[in-house]
Amino acid sequence: MTLAITYALLAGLLVGLSRQLNGRLALSTTPLVASFWNHIIGFAILTLLGLLVGGLVPAGAADAPWHAYVGGPIGVVFVAAGSWLIARIGAVNTALLVIGGQMVSGVALDLIRAVPTTLWASALGVVLILAGMALTQRR
Amino acid sequence: MTSSAERLNPLHLLAAFGTGGLLTLMVYFNGELGRYGNALFSSWAAHGTGTIAAAILLAILWRRRPAIAAGKPRAPLWAYLGGLSGGATVMLTSTAVNTPLALAGTLALGLAGQVVFSLAADRWGLFGLPRRKLSLRDIGALALIIAGSALIILFGMGGAA
Repeated sequence: MTLAITYALLAGLLVGLSRQLNGRLALSTTPLVASFWNHIIGFAILTLLGLLVGGLVPAGAADAPWHAYVGGPIGVVFVAAGSWLIARIGAVNTALLVIGGQMVSGVALDLIRAVPTTLWASALGVVLILAGMALTQRR
Repeated sequence: MTSSAERLNPLHLLAAFGTGGLLTLMVYFNGELGRYGNALFSSWAAHGTGTIAAAILLAILWRRRPAIAAGKPRAPLWAYLGGLSGGATVMLTSTAVNTPLALAGTLALGLAGQVVFSLAADRWGLFGLPRRKLSLRDIGALALIIAGSALIILFGMGGAA
């Protein structure tokens, strides 16, 4: 369990590290170029890993509908946007506002898809996040 | 380089918030792909299609962007390693969600990790990005967004009441 906790914490640190590095690369190039390198390096690493452990292309993969593959191109815009934002509003604001947006849109998506949620907690969470965003706008 | 903590540009605020929305869509679609294959395949395929999409976008924008590198200092080699960090993230999270931490615990701890890293990054201007001081207002906003996110992750998700 301690190992699992370490993994999950480390994953969060690495999300921040990745955005910091891509943001630095975007300063010398452009956010889209940074996003390109992020993806091609990630692809190379995961290809290597897949070849080592096997099962890179599982049997069911051919059955996936085309829209399941839309996540990659969305990720390109996501990484480019993060690289652009971090130089302008800083690491803390970027991380927190992206998380806030993820949470609020996640609650909306769950409602649309009728995924069971505890409504009071989700609603209160959304209110707190929006209040936090509003606070950044107060003079 | 220390930028003072002035009011956040509302356009930047909306862009960051919208970027979080993109993340929700990305996680959803990659999750769909993972259902047909596995987490490694999903991330591998997403990085592959992402590389192609980025290359196409760059090709389209190429002519409209004369001398992009003019006047900009070269990036150090380590700045190209964001994808390495991203790839490692996939492995760690896909391992952690299959422990008793489950998705909620993994998300909550991941959030904590991101907050710690970003605080250190702004405090010391890590990896060549500007330092940034936090104002009291920033800390208040931070606390509200963390509290709201924790509430959604730990009590909102998956329950039925």
